[in-house]
Amino acid sequence: MEQSSTSTPLTGAVQGLASELASALRSGGRFRLAAGIPDVHGAEANAGLALAAVRVVGADAVLPSVLRRAPAEADDLALFGRAVHIYPPAADASPVSVWSHWAMKQTLRRLDAPSGGGSDRAAEAGPEAEPQVAWLADVPWQVLTHQLALLAPLAVPEADCAVADVARDRPVDVARGFVRAVRRRDWLQAAGAGRWLVLLDGVPATLGLGAGLEFVAHMGGDDPRVALQVEAARHLQAGARP
Amino acid sequence: MPSTDFLTVELTEIPDVEEALNPTEVVGFYRDTRECAALALQSGAGNLLLSPPTPRPKKG
Repeated sequence: MEQSSTSTPLTGAVQGLASELASALRSGGRFRLAAGIPDVHGAEANAGLALAAVRVVGADAVLPSVLRRAPAEADDLALFGRAVHIYPPAADASPVSVWSHWAMKQTLRRLDAPSGGGSDRAAEAGPEAEPQVAWLADVPWQVLTHQLALLAPLAVPEADCAVADVARDRPVDVARGFVRAVRRRDWLQAAGAGRWLVLLDGVPATLGLGAGLEFVAHMGGDDPRVALQVEAARHLQAGARP
Repeated sequence: MPSTDFLTVELTEIPDVEEALNPTEVVGFYRDTRECAALALQSGAGNLLLSPPTPRPKKG
């Protein structure tokens, strides 16, 4: 499947952020989230768009720090926290949106902890109960893979949440979904599913996950969102070494 | 006005955040033969789930 061709300012901002993140992961270079964000006092619309993009990219917006287990800069965390604060899930938000927001808060809390806490960021991102996961537990494997791919930012080495538990319980279903996504040319879903599979035990060896991920990168890597997921998967495969 | 108030105003005018977070699965189409071949080559031994099924003997 070709990725959606619908282009909006938000889509462009998300692609731009994903591109910078993928590049940083690929090169091992430094990534500064705040560096690409306009001065909030000088370019309000652009700043708003950039924050929306951070919310859409979710916890992956600080993925280099997470994977390298490196502290994030204070202004990066402030920006990340601002996106968390400004975009709480609405009352009728999808479970994916709720979990994405929860993951951002958990990530913020984890990254903010080494700084000694005490900031408003840490306060607003304190521990909180996980959202419910019943919506995901018994869905068909096709739906499971679609939802997990949307929640790929939860697939990190320290993943310890109910969504990750569901994924761990159904490695063969996720593998099947990965294959389906590739066959449908849904490179973004395939990359997200592949990222989960890297973390799962019990994935059939016959899947050829490594070759499959390379194929996804080859076919879909022009989309920065796909490239970001593939780079994340590669880091996870390598043990997230810096 | 607090320095960040404008952000709330601005962001309510970006309506597609929720949609971007939870897009529906788009109808897809299946790979063509050349892509199958490329993937089979990448898989090396050919024991990939993406490989075409093993031909079965014809009846009769």
